[in-house]
Amino acid sequence: MFSSLRRNVRLTAGIAVLSSLAVLSTACGADDSGASEQTSGVTINVTLGAQPPPQAALDAFTKSTGIKVNWTNLDWDSLQTKIAAAATAKTYFADATDVDWSRVGQLGKLNWFYPMENYLDTKALTADMPQLSSFTTDGHVVGIPYDASFLVATVNKKMFADAGITTMPTTIDQYTQNLKQIKQKGVVQYPLNIPFAAAEGLSTYWYQTTAAFGGKVLDKDGKPQFTGRGSAGYKAAQWMVDALKQGLVAPGNINVTDSQGQQTLMAHGQTASVFGDYSGNVGSLYDVPASSTVVHQVTYLPTPGVDGPAPNMSNPDGIGIPVNAKYPKAAAKFIDWFTSAKNQADFAGLNGPDKAWTAYAMPSRLSAVEQLNKNGNIIGGDTLAELLKSQARPVFPGGAPKWYPQFSTAVYSNLHSAATGAISVDTAIKTIADTADRLASGQ
Amino acid sequence: MTGTRLPTRPVTTSETSPGQRKKRRRFDLLPYVLVAPLAVFIVGLALVPAGFTVVESFFKVDTLDPPTRFIGLGNFRQIFLDPLLRTTVVNTLGYVVIGTALSTILGIAMAVTLQHRFAGRSLLIAILVLPWALPGVVEGIVWTGIWDANTGLFNSVLTSLHLIDHYQVFLGQNRWLTIFLIEIVQVWQITPLSALLVLAALQNIPGDLYESARLDGCSGFQAFRRITLPLARPGIAVAMVQAVIATLNVFDQPYVLNGAAPAGSSVMIQTYLVSFQNLNFGEGYALSLLVTATTLLMSLGVVKLVYRRVEY
Repeated sequence: MFSSLRRNVRLTAGIAVLSSLAVLSTACGADDSGASEQTSGVTINVTLGAQPPPQAALDAFTKSTGIKVNWTNLDWDSLQTKIAAAATAKTYFADATDVDWSRVGQLGKLNWFYPMENYLDTKALTADMPQLSSFTTDGHVVGIPYDASFLVATVNKKMFADAGITTMPTTIDQYTQNLKQIKQKGVVQYPLNIPFAAAEGLSTYWYQTTAAFGGKVLDKDGKPQFTGRGSAGYKAAQWMVDALKQGLVAPGNINVTDSQGQQTLMAHGQTASVFGDYSGNVGSLYDVPASSTVVHQVTYLPTPGVDGPAPNMSNPDGIGIPVNAKYPKAAAKFIDWFTSAKNQADFAGLNGPDKAWTAYAMPSRLSAVEQLNKNGNIIGGDTLAELLKSQARPVFPGGAPKWYPQFSTAVYSNLHSAATGAISVDTAIKTIADTADRLASGQ
Repeated sequence: MTGTRLPTRPVTTSETSPGQRKKRRRFDLLPYVLVAPLAVFIVGLALVPAGFTVVESFFKVDTLDPPTRFIGLGNFRQIFLDPLLRTTVVNTLGYVVIGTALSTILGIAMAVTLQHRFAGRSLLIAILVLPWALPGVVEGIVWTGIWDANTGLFNSVLTSLHLIDHYQVFLGQNRWLTIFLIEIVQVWQITPLSALLVLAALQNIPGDLYESARLDGCSGFQAFRRITLPLARPGIAVAMVQAVIATLNVFDQPYVLNGAAPAGSSVMIQTYLVSFQNLNFGEGYALSLLVTATTLLMSLGVVKLVYRRVEY
């Protein structure tokens, strides 16, 4: 009996050894380079930083194409890490995944994603998708925007009215004066929200403020445009830090991220305005009673600039096909379907709540936005549709530089340090500019 | 001192017969086969990647600047020239000193409290272990609500007690205060394990030692100093080593509570940014190697200083 037991143990142990070797060989050495041309009868993996769209919509796609979709929701940071790790290891990760606008230059240079013009008629999309340019680098489209997020000012009109402000500001000077008036009248102690935490949200806020001051951050060669004291970028940084020092922004905002500020301060009436808010926040956050105490009080404001409304910086989400995808053609079919005007309108709630996608902000297609606006499905739709058509601009017109992540780190860590008083605005701007110069020169 | 001996049994002649002895000397594959799966995993998923890390730290592995090429100590030189990295090294040393000291002191205090049996002791141990079981990110989020300068609990308590008249900014303004407050969060996480390790050592101390000491007129504090502390040294050493490892590799708490701000950023945050944001894997490998070597050296130092073999 014991010898039989011993034999069984040996056999089990042997199988365990072989299994572990097999698992290890899969884990360590897999290079899934053999992509399939199949576009039917396959299952594709789609990984984005969002909950899946309604199952009925995905089922309808499967029924019409024979492609089954396996959706994975990952947070943004983990997703970027996984994309980088999988691409570096030349391993399969997903058939379609997130293409962040800020990583377009890096992804384009690294050839980690298939050019979308190989699969879709991207030229025909340009007119209907103004933010497609944010996903284009060196003439190649790295991803297709599936929503049209852009930065826009939001104001609590009740607080403005309580302070006696009846005409909304159109210039940054009027805006600043209005905020001071709100504070002075005691309507709210800290009327402005600026997310000074050392995170990406601070960088994008500065880009938007720079645009409001009439300038841009980098030229087409990546050279910094904000070094002089009279430059828009310098003035924007000074305006932001001054707002904190003058008590327009709460001192605690040095540790507040963009979403925290919107959710805990603006949505709870602790501040009267966000200068660089996200398009869609009024409908998806401020007017939702479960998450807000300022329902129907917040409205979009064409971003005040030097002499009038300023451009709005695009901040869209895109989707692309990694080069290690198993089924790139099937993934392209999915992206075509996923970003179609009809689906975007459905996702945004045009045809009822059953077809609406809760995670969805705003369509990237103008035709879908116009349809929604015509039917009154977008809160603040008139303003948003107009801004999307005429004012939304990419932060970097030629696509973000390949060294954008390092540049952004320099931007937010130095502006954060200036806000804490550890360094001056002058030093912060100089350090950011030096970093940009060094990176642009390839060092 | 007392000793534990394994029970012995008489050896029969049949067990020592020449035939049996020959059988016993025969190579037995079974233990190796049983250990093999684990060994394969350890070698494949820990030692081989570690080997690659060592080798590739001497190469320029930058996906934005191909091809991969040998650069000798170039990555290490770059690391030492980077002023931001020097800041994070000092910050991390701060985390190590504060975290190791606090978690050890609190761990010993908790262990001594739990050494004696009392009603609800098991429940208390179960509750104590909770922070250790929580992921660092979750703890960071929980403590954000405590340290927050606009709506935080800590500010609220201090205001209620009239210790401050308006809300204060605790994180991000002063470098060392920021490091201290962030490390408090990690101490909250790692102290339960320290307490359990020390408690395990305390439970090995024979009760008659305390009894003899009491009869000799020894006070409670003297017993703690002369009996508890010296005999708990193996447990304290292990607790300190785990604290050193955890604090040297701190990532979640500073990242969640303070972002990537220089005042509070750790070496591991920098390693993450260099590797996965800048895609400079060569420098990331070099940094990881330095952290591993430092961890090893500091752990050895702690063992050498604190560990003593104890026999009862």
